[in-house]
Amino acid sequence: MRIAVDTGGTFTDLVVENDDGQLDVFKAPTTPGDPIIGIFDALSAAAEARETSVAALLGSTATFIHATTRAINAVLTGNTAKTAYLATEGHRDTLLFREGGRIEIFNYTVEYPDPYVPRSLTFEVRERIGYDGSVVTPLDETTLIETIAALRETEIEAVGVCLLWSIVNPAHERRIGELLDQHLPGVPYTLSHEVNPTLREYRRASSTCIDASLKPLMSDYLHGIEKRLRDTGFAGRFLMVTSQGGVKDGDFVANAPIHAINSGPAMAPIGGRHFAQVDFGSDTAIIADTGGTSFDVSLVRDGRIPWTRETWLGEVYRGHMTGFPSIDVKSIGAGGGSIAWVDGGGMLHIGPQSAGADPGPACYGQGGTHATVTDAALVIGLLDPAYFLGGRMALDVEASRAAIERDVGGPLGLDIEDAAVAMMDVMTENMVQAIEGLTIHQGVDPRSAVLVAGGGAAGLNAVAIARQLGCTDVVVPDVGAVLSAAGSLMADLGDDYSATLPTTGATFDRDAVNAVLDGLARKCAAFIDGPGKDAASHETTFFAEARYSHQVWEIEVPLERPRFETPADVERLVTDFHSAHEAMFAVRDPGSDIEVIHWHARVRCRLHDAGFGIAERAATDVSPGGKRNVVFPGFGAVEAEVIDFRTLKTDATLTGPAVIESPFTSVAIEPGVSFERTMAGSLRIKLHGQANEGAARLAARRW
Amino acid sequence: MDGVRLAIISSRFQGICQRMANTLMRTGRSGVLNTAHDFSCCILAADNSFVAADESLPVHVLSGPDLMMRHVMAFHPELKRGDAYLNNSPYHGCSHPADHTILVPVIDDDGVHRFTVCAKAHQADIGNSKPTTYMATAEDVYEEGALIFPGTKIQQDYEDVADIIRMCEMRFRVPEQWRGDYLAMIGSVRIGERELLELGSNVGWDVLEEFVPEWFDYSEQRMIAALRNVPSGRVEIKTRHDPFPKLPSDGLEITVKLEVDAESGMIDIDLRDNPDNIACGLNLTESTATAGAMTGVFASIDHTVPPNAGSFRRVRVHLREGCIVGIPRHPYSCSMGTSNICDRLENAVVHAIAELGEGFGMAEGGSLLPPAAGVISGVDPRNGENYVNEIFLFHTGAGASPTADGWLTLTGMGSAGLCLLDSVEIDELRFPIRVYRQGLAPDSEGAGRRRGSPGAHVEFGPIDCAMSVAYASDGSTFPAAGVRGGGGAARAQQIKRDVAGREHTLAACDEVRLESGEVMISITQPGGGYGPPTEREPERVQKDLAEGWITNARARDTYGVVVGVDGMIDVAATHAKRKELTAH
Repeated sequence: MRIAVDTGGTFTDLVVENDDGQLDVFKAPTTPGDPIIGIFDALSAAAEARETSVAALLGSTATFIHATTRAINAVLTGNTAKTAYLATEGHRDTLLFREGGRIEIFNYTVEYPDPYVPRSLTFEVRERIGYDGSVVTPLDETTLIETIAALRETEIEAVGVCLLWSIVNPAHERRIGELLDQHLPGVPYTLSHEVNPTLREYRRASSTCIDASLKPLMSDYLHGIEKRLRDTGFAGRFLMVTSQGGVKDGDFVANAPIHAINSGPAMAPIGGRHFAQVDFGSDTAIIADTGGTSFDVSLVRDGRIPWTRETWLGEVYRGHMTGFPSIDVKSIGAGGGSIAWVDGGGMLHIGPQSAGADPGPACYGQGGTHATVTDAALVIGLLDPAYFLGGRMALDVEASRAAIERDVGGPLGLDIEDAAVAMMDVMTENMVQAIEGLTIHQGVDPRSAVLVAGGGAAGLNAVAIARQLGCTDVVVPDVGAVLSAAGSLMADLGDDYSATLPTTGATFDRDAVNAVLDGLARKCAAFIDGPGKDAASHETTFFAEARYSHQVWEIEVPLERPRFETPADVERLVTDFHSAHEAMFAVRDPGSDIEVIHWHARVRCRLHDAGFGIAERAATDVSPGGKRNVVFPGFGAVEAEVIDFRTLKTDATLTGPAVIESPFTSVAIEPGVSFERTMAGSLRIKLHGQANEGAARLAARRW
Repeated sequence: MDGVRLAIISSRFQGICQRMANTLMRTGRSGVLNTAHDFSCCILAADNSFVAADESLPVHVLSGPDLMMRHVMAFHPELKRGDAYLNNSPYHGCSHPADHTILVPVIDDDGVHRFTVCAKAHQADIGNSKPTTYMATAEDVYEEGALIFPGTKIQQDYEDVADIIRMCEMRFRVPEQWRGDYLAMIGSVRIGERELLELGSNVGWDVLEEFVPEWFDYSEQRMIAALRNVPSGRVEIKTRHDPFPKLPSDGLEITVKLEVDAESGMIDIDLRDNPDNIACGLNLTESTATAGAMTGVFASIDHTVPPNAGSFRRVRVHLREGCIVGIPRHPYSCSMGTSNICDRLENAVVHAIAELGEGFGMAEGGSLLPPAAGVISGVDPRNGENYVNEIFLFHTGAGASPTADGWLTLTGMGSAGLCLLDSVEIDELRFPIRVYRQGLAPDSEGAGRRRGSPGAHVEFGPIDCAMSVAYASDGSTFPAAGVRGGGGAARAQQIKRDVAGREHTLAACDEVRLESGEVMISITQPGGGYGPPTEREPERVQKDLAEGWITNARARDTYGVVVGVDGMIDVAATHAKRKELTAH
């Protein structure tokens, strides 16, 4: 048996995978001060449902997988360790200057962001390495030891070391590590060439300092939780979800906590990839995870999940770029709690402000007065006021109507239903733009992708989004509301290794490249024999990070084989690069040479090969079903069939209008759209030839 | 007015511009394009009025694309699907010759010209007589040497007009770099064209035709509302560009007359009272004189007003033909039409608006093109190849706004901070240089209740070869001014350190040859302050001090804040010091 726990800001999601592949889903509120309480509350709920004790439950658990927002929250709230940054002489301001950049061109009311480590805790080290690894200025150890003494005096709790060109020659960083061990024992530090061996000093310095600053906190947290689990009877393997969409041993992450910085959203695409595959047989998918306040989009392209180093903690150019490889997730402020407003010129906006869970939408009756997307969904009949959260919270339709009339209908001169439909339309539009921003960035054609809708609010407009995008296939997994936690059960154990060796297609140095690739292959083999030794299967893939001459942004090109024996092998790489470039950017330049900068190896060990069963069978809180009037944007008011998600049979194809609901979600199926339940338990929706009519429907709206 | 349709279709247009910009950035070849982000993408209506842009350089788009397409249509009355036009002519609407602009008419299935998509990108080289795109001293366009395309067909039926491409390849240095950038621009406009065609066939061209005027009306209303908040009044501001070669020996005075009529929601900017064109590369173009003035206006009002032909109706910019801050006469050179005098213009406009009332406008910021952002060129001894490229190690300081300190990496108001800085490692990998130092210059900021951003201290030089560095560092004599009691900025400086360690002061505008091992020291210009420095919150001063942006002496003598050795504010001493400072 395996258990996955995803600690979010509001809820702790727990999924138990039984030995027969059956999944059970539990939720408990997160206790921000001590997340371990939320985890044990969820474990208690799981134990209770199985009529056993938490100790017995943990005793029979082989693997415990954990995802948490603890690291990113610590960064966003400034609750990290007091960290010093050691930089090459003359380059103290790398974290201050960053790579420049600004958003909102005419907004001069925003202050320039503080560096991740204050200048007052940044120290220059007299040394310099050249671009080719040569020592330009030897490391001045005497002055460095004085600096370390100053660190001790200021009671520094962690140290990040990032020197120019350490990725080509790490000798100086290594020596600083030794001197820190000797003169500042017990204080954790991070060396940039170890944690993130990548070109561009700001990105490397940023990941280094973020990693160092999280070490005391995350090692306490992870060791604490593992100890609690073991003390309670757990004897299995404790794994952490990483930003790269894999899992790693808890101890590894405690020593390199930047791996966990984006662990929450990284799992939705893993889950999405699984459902696109089993429910539609597709290896290209768009995963849209809609919660109360944020909408996260990620992709699967040819079975792979695109990644990026440009992940921002906080706003783009105003927060901090991690510079660390992470699954490419785009987030916008849109969700059930998003607030509608009309500006002074008479244009409707949805969000980015959110009413959140507290006070929440007007219909919650908890003091919220703004008109939100949830209010609109209630007014047009997508939500049942008596069956929200399975009936545990009664919704106030009149409050929603009043808020929408005041904030939207009145200012726009629309009646309440039309105003609510307009709100849904604008939210759909915002989400479509977010998706298209990512798909074009990663070279994915939405029309060939399956849209996987996860998160509690996803069903409200998943079909509408698919229409706009031209997608014909939509999946709402039955574990959609806990897609991340479910995804982590499907994740592979893995690691990534890279090396910098610039070369070009024309002057390709086969021997040097082969030596580098051999080195990477050895690291992968060691991983397979070490942490991966119990895996069901394993796979190692090699990539070149390459670009056309004079470009500066590399793209990833998979290598057919991890060795270049003949000129034809090099030619193959060049050809593959041209194709990859054209797929991403619609242009190829066959006359241009290519430059390879980094070589990359990825090892993945499958921990789990079996399929999953249907997660939930209707036991409690069953929807009353029946029929109700629903206003579908573009169709007007129609009578729709209401069906409990969990009572849907797997052997019948039905046709909308319908609303499929469960205590956690509500899925709007427009007239003429067909749907069925798959063997994996998902709701599979087909738009037939109606894709691309989305815009036409938009045209027919009212203009 | 349909507030829902406005929201949805305007978002669609914005999205198309973003996708054009993303394509351009990811596929460009030159550092100017792919690292520094010195480019813009926008959409024009069929009548060439400006509809939407991605977050683009204000100086690129607020005026220019409309003028350029007007000339294209005059030269090519019959536009066909598959056409693309190149315009970089300062006499035909372009900002300056380095900003190659590709314009593609979007033609529907019935052959009707519906929109125009436009990608504009600063090129690394345009065939000037010297290896730089900034020819400050060019007597005229002939000495400047750029190939000028006044709206020339460069693609027909989606195929290159090979004659034009060959001309470019014969003239531009590092032609494969130019070709790569050209391909990136074509990729960008073709993506924009494809998406607009799809949008038109999906929602109907008639709907889009209705949308455009509604969008302009909406934006105009927002602009009127924003201008109603600004105090009415008339201001005249004079600013002075440094004495560069071919400018008067005491510099060039620039006059901006600005009048706000809040009640009617109009702003007038009169630039006609300025000198005639001068035989140098600093003349503005019609596009940059207009865009520069508008940049200052939009930076000073509610930032959420959408900039487009609708909101522009409320800004009247009065220009004169043959004027250095106006419409240039051929063959005067406009090589630097987006920087120096344009920077002065933008900063004079925000300064003028600040004079109208507390809480409005901004302090002056610095000017572009210090050596730290100079154009470097030479032969790379590692591979024997020629290189020429602008480096972006730091630009210039930003003036303070009424609410925030100057944005440290603003890169001038005309580029609004969108231009990125280079990675030192990337520069050292691509060029035979070493960057010895890159950090801020303490105590250089224009002090104020809100302070300007400080300048940077950058040192770099060639390794194992000689290198040419071209730059035009305004602010070396007349630095950015503060407003409403705020202090002015320190001067920019450029110094050469020879191999013996001796330092030599360099001219403000020059092309300097550095030998192997010599070092260029560039102290870039900071921005001015807003409001009296003695009104700055002591906690902000304390933080600037702790972080090493200012020294103890400056905290005490300029801001009147006394901080003890323990880092704590001495409240009584601060009170006394501020009383003393304000007594004068």
